[in-house]
Amino acid sequence: MADEVGELSSEFASVRVRIDTDGNGPRLRVEDLRTGHVGFLDPLELETLAWLPEGGLHKLLDPSLHRWRAEDQER
Amino acid sequence: MTSAAATIPWDELIEHDRVHGSLYTDPDVYAAELERIWYRTWVYVGHVSEVPEPNDYVLKSIGPQPVIMSRDKQGEIHLLLNRCTHRANLVCDAPKGNSSAFRCPYHGWTFSNTGKLLGYPFNSGYAGTALKSELGLGRVPRVASYQGFVFGSFAEDGPTLEEHLGAATDAFDRLVRLSPTGEVELTAGWLQHKCKANWKMLLENETDGYHPQFVHSSIFSVAASGIGDLYGEKSTAVCRDLGNGHTENDLRPEFRRLDQPLGWFGTDPAKVPDYVDQLTAVHGERTREILVDGSPHVMVFPNLFIAEIQLFVIQPTAVDETVQHVTAVQYRGAPDMNRRMLQQTIGSVGPAGFLLADDSEMYERNQRGVQARNPEWLQIKRGTHRERQDENGFTVGDATDEVPQRAIWKHYRSLMEA
Repeated sequence: MADEVGELSSEFASVRVRIDTDGNGPRLRVEDLRTGHVGFLDPLELETLAWLPEGGLHKLLDPSLHRWRAEDQER
Repeated sequence: MTSAAATIPWDELIEHDRVHGSLYTDPDVYAAELERIWYRTWVYVGHVSEVPEPNDYVLKSIGPQPVIMSRDKQGEIHLLLNRCTHRANLVCDAPKGNSSAFRCPYHGWTFSNTGKLLGYPFNSGYAGTALKSELGLGRVPRVASYQGFVFGSFAEDGPTLEEHLGAATDAFDRLVRLSPTGEVELTAGWLQHKCKANWKMLLENETDGYHPQFVHSSIFSVAASGIGDLYGEKSTAVCRDLGNGHTENDLRPEFRRLDQPLGWFGTDPAKVPDYVDQLTAVHGERTREILVDGSPHVMVFPNLFIAEIQLFVIQPTAVDETVQHVTAVQYRGAPDMNRRMLQQTIGSVGPAGFLLADDSEMYERNQRGVQARNPEWLQIKRGTHRERQDENGFTVGDATDEVPQRAIWKHYRSLMEA
């Protein structure tokens, strides 16, 4: 089960956000509408995001960190 | 690289009461203007109300330069050049948005909204991450604001914004004083009018008090407007050289003679009682005087025209092409006045409006006319015999005189010869 929260788009990304209740506790389901890729965020992870300092996501926004990197490249 | 400005004999082209036609048509003059004016002096870019929330951004310009105005998570405003440092694509395309980072659509290079390069795909192709510290977005070196109006300067050093604005700061003070919260908001959206004319045709026209009774006679007639009379031979209004190229049509003498609160806006206090109450709560007994005096009509050199209830931003895109960006002034917290200012703006400068269409026709005819080989000069001598100093030492003329045009060219020449 998943309750739709809504879709958010900018010129850089489009995502659909739902609250997913398939597990033992609720979590946020985030779907990348350009690729169909889905990720989940639990309440503790979301709370951590709420407390992010300026630039706290900068490392994750580096395209080479995970999504666009050679398979054999060291992390 | 040789300076374009240094090769042009400015003293032979700009005299006190006439200017040479080539100043509007010569590509070398335009190149020199970019160098000495647009990429050196303070230029108006945007307003803080256009990026109200952290991570908001809007696309702006400084002449032909594409600029991103962003507000970072800490609230600081940045002016970044909208050009990927990889292969020069525009990093942002949407006119506005909210994002802590910008990702170039060409190869995925990703920048923070403060301009820092956060990364690029497949970084093994660059043998690591060293480029990150070197290739942040270009930025406008100096950013400053006055009453929420954000200006940028490509010069690392030079006069401060307040030194540049000089006496024109009073126009901003008078504008925000009419808002019950002391703040204006530019939230009504922007119209863009492109015309085939040199940018200085617009700059000179904004405080030209000689043309309204001719160019705008049809709209004044249809709207039964008294504006035309403000610019007649009997008018007590004056035009003024505010210094640094800033110019004004000061209509307050006429408004004070007529002594009608909100007469400058073509309405009366009974139509906007909430607004008048709000303003009275702030200004008390001075409210009536403020409502009689009205809003400024000031051209801030080189590109911001405060036109009572509208703002015009002049953007040169070529020697013979200019885009004029227009919006309605909105007072924060005054919905009854804001609705009327928006309606009047749509009526005068909207797609079906007459006022700006009249002016644009003149700009384009001017640009075609100035191509003629003979005569070579444009005359700006009107009222030279009756110029005088006001009580503050500023040069003023009668309502229809060409004091503003002479003031603009005097400052222009000083910049080009510097």
